[in-house]
Amino acid sequence: MNRYSDFSVEDLVWDDFFRQWIFSPTSETNALWNNWISENPEMLGKMEQARRILLSMRLEEPEITDAEINEVVRRTVGLVNVANTATTQLSHRKTPVLFTTWMRLAACIALIILLGWTTYSVLVRKQQEPQLGQQLKASSYFVEETNSTSRTRQLVLSDGSSISLAPQGRVRYRKPFHGQRREVYLTGEAFFQIAKDPDRPFLVFANGLITKVLGTSFRIKAYEGVDQVTVEVKSGKVAVFTERDPQSKKKVEDNALQGVILKPNQKIIYALNEVKMVKTLVEKPEIVVPKSQISRLDFEDTPASEVFNTLGKTYGIDIIYDAALLKDCPLTAVLEGLTLQDKLNIICKAVESSYEIVDGQVIIHSKGCKN
Amino acid sequence: MKSTPFSVEDRMLWQNFLVGDVRSFEKLMSDHFRLLFRYGSKFSKDREFVKDSIQDLFMMLWEKRDNLNPEAAVKPYLMASLRRLMHRQLSERTGQGGQASQEVENYFAVEFSVEEQYIADEVTTARSLHIQNLISTLPRRQKEVVYLKFFQELSRDQIAQIMNITPQTVSNLLQIAIRQMKEFTKEGYVLIILWYLLF
Repeated sequence: MNRYSDFSVEDLVWDDFFRQWIFSPTSETNALWNNWISENPEMLGKMEQARRILLSMRLEEPEITDAEINEVVRRTVGLVNVANTATTQLSHRKTPVLFTTWMRLAACIALIILLGWTTYSVLVRKQQEPQLGQQLKASSYFVEETNSTSRTRQLVLSDGSSISLAPQGRVRYRKPFHGQRREVYLTGEAFFQIAKDPDRPFLVFANGLITKVLGTSFRIKAYEGVDQVTVEVKSGKVAVFTERDPQSKKKVEDNALQGVILKPNQKIIYALNEVKMVKTLVEKPEIVVPKSQISRLDFEDTPASEVFNTLGKTYGIDIIYDAALLKDCPLTAVLEGLTLQDKLNIICKAVESSYEIVDGQVIIHSKGCKN
Repeated sequence: MKSTPFSVEDRMLWQNFLVGDVRSFEKLMSDHFRLLFRYGSKFSKDREFVKDSIQDLFMMLWEKRDNLNPEAAVKPYLMASLRRLMHRQLSERTGQGGQASQEVENYFAVEFSVEEQYIADEVTTARSLHIQNLISTLPRRQKEVVYLKFFQELSRDQIAQIMNITPQTVSNLLQIAIRQMKEFTKEGYVLIILWYLLF
């Protein structure tokens, strides 16, 4: 922010970052600019003037009514339908392409006007039906599945992945998948189990949030009318980013996972109106290591540092603690059959510490147990 | 003012349109009509001509759909195509008279107004008016870059695609334009204050 110290009003007016703050402020940019102005109070006058100039400057755009738009759109769609019928009728000819010149187009417009609006809209309706038939013949097409029942509906995709669609959920995808990516559009809630295919990333688009995986299982909640999307990871690694992300196109196309990376038991909450993502833990973290490898969770005179280490590995999450301090805190406890939160509570009580969940990690605050 | 750099809805409509879905084609057209109309109006004041151009554009897209790129960025692609089409038609229309076409090429109309509610004092009004004045006097291409960048919030690469120039040229044009727009000479300032006080 230092570079702004000698900015003039006009410099601010044409500065990208300043404009972005004025027109679409976020909590982050608010904090940054407020902080900056408290450090550079002499800039307050200039900043205020720049802000007013930006807000007062309205670009006069010519207006067009929805009715006007609809009229042109309907006319065009009508022409397209007529062109299609004509093409089908003439398909035995060697040059079935109509409308190669604008003159032919003009002739066609004249023809339509002659036909008259009434006959015309009837035609449009009738011709849209065979159009749908043609779609089905295409090798790969978007299908839409909804779950109007009251129970979870299982869907199996062409790549072997499965989707458990919650009631009222809706997904759209290509059948079969086509191209370098497997893409699904979700409204509502669904649990995904994705077949591994590192060459073809799997992407879920849900209410502005893009979730990208190579092969994992996770749950997404993106209800219509709710300004929040959550992603909870059960196994494997998941990358999450928003459609607004200026790099989103690159992140979608790249084969590597970029964005906010979520690991098992982590969860992201994306608040649409705040344009921010909060990483946390799922409500009930589950043990991620296979049953045969679960180390017994009863400890006798074990240093607390070691207990946290074992716990972190069992749940596949990061527990941050001061190892030097906690190695002198012995702990004897049986932690089988409790939730992660209960386990943490018990340990923390025993060794006079506390914990908080920050950014999907558990952070242990402790003063040590030397006395 | 917000724009999505990468719209999934657009891309889905686009790809469905490419395989011949008329409904997606229709939605694509109505979704982008207002934006295209506003952009097209910068090249011609003739409303009907702008509307016809958009219709021609979509007719052309429908015919060419087998050869279009399914991964195209929809909004910049539509804007670029409309721009090309309108420029071609405008130069054909005025092709006979050499001087008239010159006029067309220089045309990129942006108009501003001042929203009184944000104006606290004469100085701000004067500055605001002066900046608007400076934008209006920019050469056509600089004005267009400024419009796309600051009022359509498009990226450098998207502007390059729309105007059919290199991203570097976009940066250069923008830099020159911004330099010109920051020129706030004392004389200009005094003049505008005077103007403001007189009227």
